[in-house]
Amino acid sequence: MKLGRKTFSITYTFILVASLFISVAAQAQETYRARLSPMPTTPQTKDTITGEGEVFLTLNGNTLSVSGNYSGMSSVATMAHIHNGPPAQPGPVVAQLVVPASTAGEVTAELELSDELIEALKNNSLYIQIHSETNAPGELRGWVFARN
Amino acid sequence: MKITTIISSKAIRRTLLISSITVVLAACGSEQESAAPATTSAVAELTGFETQVAQGADLFATNCAACHGTNLEGTTLGPILSGNTFLQRWGSGTPTPLLNSIQTNMPPGGGSSLTADDYLSLTAHILSENGMDTVTESLTASSDLVIQDNVSAIAARRQRPAPPAPEGVTVAGNVDDFVPFVPVTDAILENPADGDWPMHRRTYDANSYSPLDEINTENVGQLKLEWVWNMHEGDSEPAPLVYNGIIYLINPGNVIQALDGKTGELIWENWAGPANRQDMRNIAIYGDNIIQATTDARVIALDARTGQQVWETEIAEFSKGFHNSSGPIVADGKVIQGLAGCWYYIPEDCYISALDANTGETQWQFETIAEMGQPGGDTWGGLDDVFRAGGETWITGSYDPELKLTYWGTAQQKPWVPVSRGMTIDDVGLYTNSTVAVNTDTGELDWFFQHVPAEALDLDEVFERVLVNRGDEKLVFSLGKYGILWKNDRVSGEFKGYKETVFQNAFTNIDPDTGEVTYREDIQNAGLNEWTSACPSSAGGKDWHSMTYHQPSGTMIAPLSQTCLENAAREVAMVQGSGGMAASRKFFEMPGTDGNLGKIGAYNVDTMEEVWSHEQRASFHTGTISTAGDLVFAGDLDREFKAFDVNTGEVLWKTRLGTVVQGHPVSFAIDGKQYIAVTSANGGTSPRAVPDVIATEIIYPRWGNAIYVFSLPE
Ligand code: HEC
Repeated sequence: MKLGRKTFSITYTFILVASLFISVAAQAQETYRARLSPMPTTPQTKDTITGEGEVFLTLNGNTLSVSGNYSGMSSVATMAHIHNGPPAQPGPVVAQLVVPASTAGEVTAELELSDELIEALKNNSLYIQIHSETNAPGELRGWVFARN
Repeated sequence: MKITTIISSKAIRRTLLISSITVVLAACGSEQESAAPATTSAVAELTGFETQVAQGADLFATNCAACHGTNLEGTTLGPILSGNTFLQRWGSGTPTPLLNSIQTNMPPGGGSSLTADDYLSLTAHILSENGMDTVTESLTASSDLVIQDNVSAIAARRQRPAPPAPEGVTVAGNVDDFVPFVPVTDAILENPADGDWPMHRRTYDANSYSPLDEINTENVGQLKLEWVWNMHEGDSEPAPLVYNGIIYLINPGNVIQALDGKTGELIWENWAGPANRQDMRNIAIYGDNIIQATTDARVIALDARTGQQVWETEIAEFSKGFHNSSGPIVADGKVIQGLAGCWYYIPEDCYISALDANTGETQWQFETIAEMGQPGGDTWGGLDDVFRAGGETWITGSYDPELKLTYWGTAQQKPWVPVSRGMTIDDVGLYTNSTVAVNTDTGELDWFFQHVPAEALDLDEVFERVLVNRGDEKLVFSLGKYGILWKNDRVSGEFKGYKETVFQNAFTNIDPDTGEVTYREDIQNAGLNEWTSACPSSAGGKDWHSMTYHQPSGTMIAPLSQTCLENAAREVAMVQGSGGMAASRKFFEMPGTDGNLGKIGAYNVDTMEEVWSHEQRASFHTGTISTAGDLVFAGDLDREFKAFDVNTGEVLWKTRLGTVVQGHPVSFAIDGKQYIAVTSANGGTSPRAVPDVIATEIIYPRWGNAIYVFSLPE
């Protein structure tokens, strides 16, 4: 199982921003990123499950710093979590993140990860999910992948 | 016959789903604005039926209108639910089959909490809109009225406000007035002139490769629009056919046009009917005739010079759900035609037909579903033959004239999830989701290879079979919705290798020696109404958009798509006439792709390694073609038509068309000058519908079917 390599991307602005971010960070740190996009949707729900976001995660020892933003949700955020599950397979909550009660804003946290969770992080088996008032089961979601 | 990937069939876990199969509702049918009186008159007491109609109208607006239109008029996401064609299908019986069908299959997006009463109300609303206005009693699951007998005279008259659709030749002309027509022989089809594209994938090996090289990596940047021709509106994924400078173009609604390739001048047009907005991907040419399949499961030959009908054969009964969305290939003097819509529980199964190309007479039929007592018949969990459904051949096959074998992909079992079909993951269901190699003389199965047995997620392996020779090896390649590129020996069927072209998590193992797949455990055991999350989605890692084999570089270049789904099986009544798809689905971006839905991947056919890939937000909606000019062409949702360097994937040229670039590009030459043609179109089934709910920021006109022709400046 292999995730697609990329030769070109329309999100080149993100890449610019990201490479800046990487060069600033010390070499010992490992950086990860999650793209947030709408939870599973249908033609009937596509206008009520909306928004996007991008979250950067930096691992220093066992400390994971989470910092990102989101926008365009259909209603205000109520909760945000890190879950444990391999790509495209939902799993349990393993950590809380901080979000404002707003349809757009920052998502942050400073977490101590167990060795198992570090292992999960390295196996692409953590994802971030933001819940909203009208989408209690979650409105935005994104798996965390290493930036290389 | 060699059997390669079969899990031996085992116990049958037959969940008898619906115990009470009482039937019959109340019915009638007519059309558009037969306004339900219930919604307007607040004073008068409503009849039971009117109450249902009023409730049904509200439920429809919330649950169905997004796809079927506010007035049932249909959208690109769902068909029209009123009018003659709809009544033809449902009118002759009671409302129960319609009720069952809706309850089992709608809304396909799922997650809705509609009750049995809600489904009765929805059925009442649809029937009322279709003119059933003589009924007063509430519909029940056992109403025994016949729909068409209850469409009032007034309503029946409203059925016919539209002028009759054209039939037959609507524009008369003769190809001979442009270029003398040369009858098409087997030899021509086996070795077409460099400048022709005389069948759906140009050659029998389905390589979608043009030996023309006037347009190449050096000069492609100068490509200019030569002419454009607006096509009939509707769902469309067309593969134009070009022979001797004339373009034969299949339009939605079973309309064929002959156009002068040089100037875009219309020569003739024929309407074979039915005059709908439905899709047909390709047509064929042989002898003096153009040969088309129709959306109502007929095959018709038209005089290629004039468009006049020569012969017609009904290959299956449309009223039983059979239809076609792809046309034939002519091989060895026979018109070889697949069949779609085989998902109902009826005695008839799906088959591939061979007709005499000169007369239309049926020569043989190859059934894709093994029945009880036949070889492979014990792979259906002991189900009665009536309940063995699926195995459609909705994409046209290829042909090896030396081996006299025609290669087709078959679709999966229906309904989509084992538990819905009263089966388990061990009931592999031959010959579904397989490559079948059928002898063109006899119609007999030479070999088969079942790529994904007991398919469980609506991810079929039905697409084109690309024939490739490497040294002494005769190979056949295919790429199904799981995004796995399969390599098989095409003489024996033997498994030769595979490559995952996009992320998939449906299989935990693919045996590198046998190609045998193992489903993830929760997919194996998925129960009714349980959500399973998997990649890719039913839009396919790859779908109907054909891939190309570039002979000079030995690479297969495929249009791919990166989305995932959540799927939940629904209950299906084990009664004759039931069946269908029976799953609810939701869609999301594929993790790890950065939201890039579109991918073109190039694979070395010897090593099966990825040579390059191009990823972008907009999904691709054309097949890929390659040329001797070392170019690959493909078009996307964001209206861009692009030329790539076949060796590096670099985009060398792009232009923007009126709407989504959709169909199958072709290249041809007239008087030594090379042209590239491509269509823009609407419709496109799930590969279009899924990006529409995920990449909602990509806006394009919902009309604008057309063919665009490009060339280099003089
Ligand atoms: C996500 C889009 C979508 C939604 C929502 C949806 N449908 Fe459909 N519907 C389809 C598609 C696509 C088909 C064609 C399926 C096929 O034939 O394979 C279809 C087919 C049908 C048919 C059969 C049409 C025929 O010509 O025989 C009926 C009846 C129907 N839908 C009713 C409904 C009702 C009632 C609802 C609401 C409860 C609904 N649909 C919601 C997409 C949708």
